Amino acid sequence: MSTKTSDYLLLFRGNDWSAHLSPEEVQRVVSDWYDWFEGLKAEGKCIGGHPLEDEGKIVSGPKGRTVADGPFAESKEAIGGYFHLQVADMEEAISVAQKCPGLDYGVTVEVRPVAELCEAKRRAEEALARAGQGATVTA
Amino acid sequence: MAGSEVARLTEHLFREQAGRLVSVLTGIFGIDRLQLAEDVVQEAMVRALRTWPFRGIPENPAGWLTQTAKNLALDVIRREKVFESKQPQIVAWLEQWPNESATGESPAFENELRDGRLRLMFACCHPLLPQEAQSALALKTLCGFGTEEIAKAFLTTEAAVSKRLTRARQRIRELAIPFAIPAGEELGRRLESVLQVVYLLFNEGYKASTGDHLIREDLCREAIRLGTLLAEHPAGNQPQTHALLALMLFNGARLDERTDAEGNILRLEEQDRAKWDRALIGRGMFHLHKSAEGNRVSAYHLQAAIAACHCAATDYNSTDWSRILSLYDRLLEVEPSPVVALNRAVAVAKVHGPKAGIKAVEAIRRADHLRSYHLLHAVLGEFERALGHFEIAATHFKQALKLTGLTSEQNFLLHRMRDCEEMSLTSTVPARQIIAR
Repeated sequence: MSTKTSDYLLLFRGNDWSAHLSPEEVQRVVSDWYDWFEGLKAEGKCIGGHPLEDEGKIVSGPKGRTVADGPFAESKEAIGGYFHLQVADMEEAISVAQKCPGLDYGVTVEVRPVAELCEAKRRAEEALARAGQGATVTA
Repeated sequence: MAGSEVARLTEHLFREQAGRLVSVLTGIFGIDRLQLAEDVVQEAMVRALRTWPFRGIPENPAGWLTQTAKNLALDVIRREKVFESKQPQIVAWLEQWPNESATGESPAFENELRDGRLRLMFACCHPLLPQEAQSALALKTLCGFGTEEIAKAFLTTEAAVSKRLTRARQRIRELAIPFAIPAGEELGRRLESVLQVVYLLFNEGYKASTGDHLIREDLCREAIRLGTLLAEHPAGNQPQTHALLALMLFNGARLDERTDAEGNILRLEEQDRAKWDRALIGRGMFHLHKSAEGNRVSAYHLQAAIAACHCAATDYNSTDWSRILSLYDRLLEVEPSPVVALNRAVAVAKVHGPKAGIKAVEAIRRADHLRSYHLLHAVLGEFERALGHFEIAATHFKQALKLTGLTSEQNFLLHRMRDCEEMSLTSTVPARQIIAR
């Protein structure tokens, strides 16, 4: 029997926290964070993750005519990186997030479930399951 | 643990690299732009923090930090107008700077780095800066401490430390303090000032006090490291540098054994000498030997010699107290302070008995400097106890207890006081008789 898992993203917000850390603290967080990431990968709970550069561009407006610098280099909101988790449920995703070594230094972790492919398909599957027909809907 | 199989960062790598990089960059930007050098190094650390956790720790972490700091420095040079005239030279110099810092550096470049450390040391410990600013600046720039850590070390607030640092950098600019190793007659005077700061850092860590235990250990280790850097450099390789280094090594060797697992103070006679760090004591003996090359005997020489006597004794009872007493006699001449006199009184009691010790303390008391110094009462308590005057001893311990705010010392003194009170109940000598003596 295989256990069903769902996908979640952990978004690490706040990239202004590290400017105040001492070298000793930086080293501690680097080591702890790396151990945390490697541990989650070894357990199969995390299938990837990347840091993001601070500076990028924001494209908006009709036909993408507006191209602005952003997000601002240092802010509490900026996303500094993400993990892609595969865990049982939201509860487990939260308990993973709670172990983020950056939390003590003001990082916030946003836990976002990855949405199902198609909401309509999900509803149809549910309806069919209720009807007891057991068939699958193909897209 | 998954991470434990991977190459780990050596302990304090970031801190050491920060100190190293700040001195190199200060050489490039100029001492008047010390803050800029510190900011660039901080940014390099932050870049590591943002990427290493995801990408893994690079094979040569120190090299990575050096390269990143170098790139950031080049950005600054190209961006800032002030560097325009010097730009080609600086860029040429930076390009010469090897990427592989941990292993592949050329000896010539290593020498340049060492000089950079010394220049920064002499600049930070310039006698025209207030001493508290000197020590804070040394910790920040040479040792890679953060403001919070400095605040913990000096039992003050982060805001106060930041202010101290800002003012110190400002003073350096205003007074045009040079980023150079002094020469000739000036060297001796300036070295004195550097040694004072190093010793102050060590003592701040060494004194049995409350506060963050780890920070205190770090302070002692950093002071020993700075002392070693000095002793290894031609400009700092002087008898008094070796004497101070020997003193710090002897005391550092006994650091951990001064308290038990619960943080209670262990007296010298209660310490497990097998646990003293023999390697540090060995290094101490080496530098004590080197310190004997000159013809001037500094306070560091005498204190180191006293510490050596303790380290050389296989057990408490075989301590050479008469040699220690004669060293204290000379120390008192070089540094006539009541605290030295009080320490001498302990040696007097060991050689000539507790009564002579009490007399020696009374002599200090008449000078009236130490009335509110808790250790004076603690020492008197020990002497009276040794004479069997338990009731009087208890009152001295009680007095000492009132004068200290440190929990570890309070516990120790409370214990001594209760012990004496119990003994006085079974003692046959009435207190009145003793007081009337």
